[in-house]
Amino acid sequence: MGKNHTLGKTTGALAAAAGVLLFLPLAGQNPFLLDVLTTGFLLSAFAGSWDIVGGVAGQLSLCHALFFGTATYACALLTTLLHWPIPLAGAAAVLLSGIGGAAVGALAAPLRGPFVAVLTLAIGEAVHELVQGNVFLAGPEGYAWGGEGGIPVTLPWDAGSSLAAYYAALVFLAAAVWTMLLIRRSRQGLILRALEGSELTARASGVDVAKHKRRAFTIAALLAGSAGVAYAAHVGRATSADFSLELSFQAATFAAVGGRGSILGPVIGAFCLHVLFQGLDVPPGTRILFYSLALMLILRFFPAGAAGAVQRLRDRRGRSKGRAER
Amino acid sequence: MTAPVLEAHRIRKSFGGTLALDDVTLSIAPGEAVGLFGPNGSGKTTLVNVLSGLYAPDAGTLRFEGREITRASMDARYRIGIARTFQIPQPYPALTVRDAVLVARSGSGGEAVEALLARVGLFEQRHMPCARLSQGCLRRLEFARALACRPKMMILDEVFSALSAADEEDLAALLRSANRDEGAAFLLVPQNPPLLKSACRRILYLDEGRIVRERMV
Repeated sequence: MGKNHTLGKTTGALAAAAGVLLFLPLAGQNPFLLDVLTTGFLLSAFAGSWDIVGGVAGQLSLCHALFFGTATYACALLTTLLHWPIPLAGAAAVLLSGIGGAAVGALAAPLRGPFVAVLTLAIGEAVHELVQGNVFLAGPEGYAWGGEGGIPVTLPWDAGSSLAAYYAALVFLAAAVWTMLLIRRSRQGLILRALEGSELTARASGVDVAKHKRRAFTIAALLAGSAGVAYAAHVGRATSADFSLELSFQAATFAAVGGRGSILGPVIGAFCLHVLFQGLDVPPGTRILFYSLALMLILRFFPAGAAGAVQRLRDRRGRSKGRAER
Repeated sequence: MTAPVLEAHRIRKSFGGTLALDDVTLSIAPGEAVGLFGPNGSGKTTLVNVLSGLYAPDAGTLRFEGREITRASMDARYRIGIARTFQIPQPYPALTVRDAVLVARSGSGGEAVEALLARVGLFEQRHMPCARLSQGCLRRLEFARALACRPKMMILDEVFSALSAADEEDLAALLRSANRDEGAAFLLVPQNPPLLKSACRRILYLDEGRIVRERMV
């Protein structure tokens, strides 16, 4: 009963937040605020997708932007070079991200803990450098397309902030979170949570650890790719920043702040931090400094993040209530 | 003569220059209760790890019900009915007791898992996170996990260590019931020799990586 009560409270709080977000634009349409919120929804979905592999399955991935960037670049190249319609390009982009996830998963599957972090960091940075086109392959002229300037995504609508984009992003976030929660609560999610707890015991329980790690990376990449497609459709451009370590690091920070493995924690954490820093127009360099500071404080004082702290508070209240009733 | 459930033939395993197992050959019949005894460093845990698939042997072959499993992984062995427990349990801290067993019991519903938890005496704790279990309960959970695959062979590494007398008695009864009622063979590595005599019908003595003696109880 206590559990149902807690679940009811959580659902109620989420419904209230959704209600506020649903009617917020009606209070006045500030284009800057709309853009901050729209981007916040998409970044939150991206942070949630990191949580599938980094939180639920416990594989500290530092190349999550690779899957996001693969999707934005695929959208840009397919729509602009091959003139594919955006829905088809989007589907292909998600698929490509999934293939990328499966490949990274295959490389990471035999590794554990910090080695997964080091491997994914190396992969992510190598691809970022390649996309930037200013290190190995390009001469002084660099690529004709790509790099900091980016590649345009051909869209049948005007890119940028609008009421329609706001609501589309909100619906996308709701669908993404619902999917992620379903995955977390499924048998597959249970096995991923077991991997996070103890790979050795999981192996001794008949779990093919390598197979499920590959799955975790693939599922997370598919979801990150979906967020990438939505982002490309919103901003109308793919840039090398979509592959950056900063973006991967942000996802991990959001998850740590919100509470790794809970899905909702990282999603809410990402949204709040993004809206706070972007809304206050904090420069990117300073933002990284704040993220690092937040990460250090959270890991020191609330290692389970905000979701963990709330849960601990609830447990403590439940215990003291139980004692009082006895 | 009954065909063995588990056979090891001339198993060798070394770590660097140290030979941990030296031509170990053993055979366990279906439903047989076997004990493994030996001084510290004799190679008991290495043998358990090789038999359960945690380590691959350097040489020799392993067969389970006649099938070769020498290179089979630990998870594959569990799925065909070879379960093991660990000397130091490593539970999933965030999972509940029920979920921890559900991971192992693929394809079974919650009711079967709860029945298993009731059998090992963990029904009351089924919604408790594994991180909050006592040492005795963790040992029971290890047992539940081992039983969840309906094992034909159980490899139990010091499963009775650090337990109260009551817990030890309960788990010994559970082991006897799995052996008697379900015909699960087991290889038991206990810390206290009296338990070997009460639970096992045959005892193997391991020293310096070799089986030096065996005797019927």
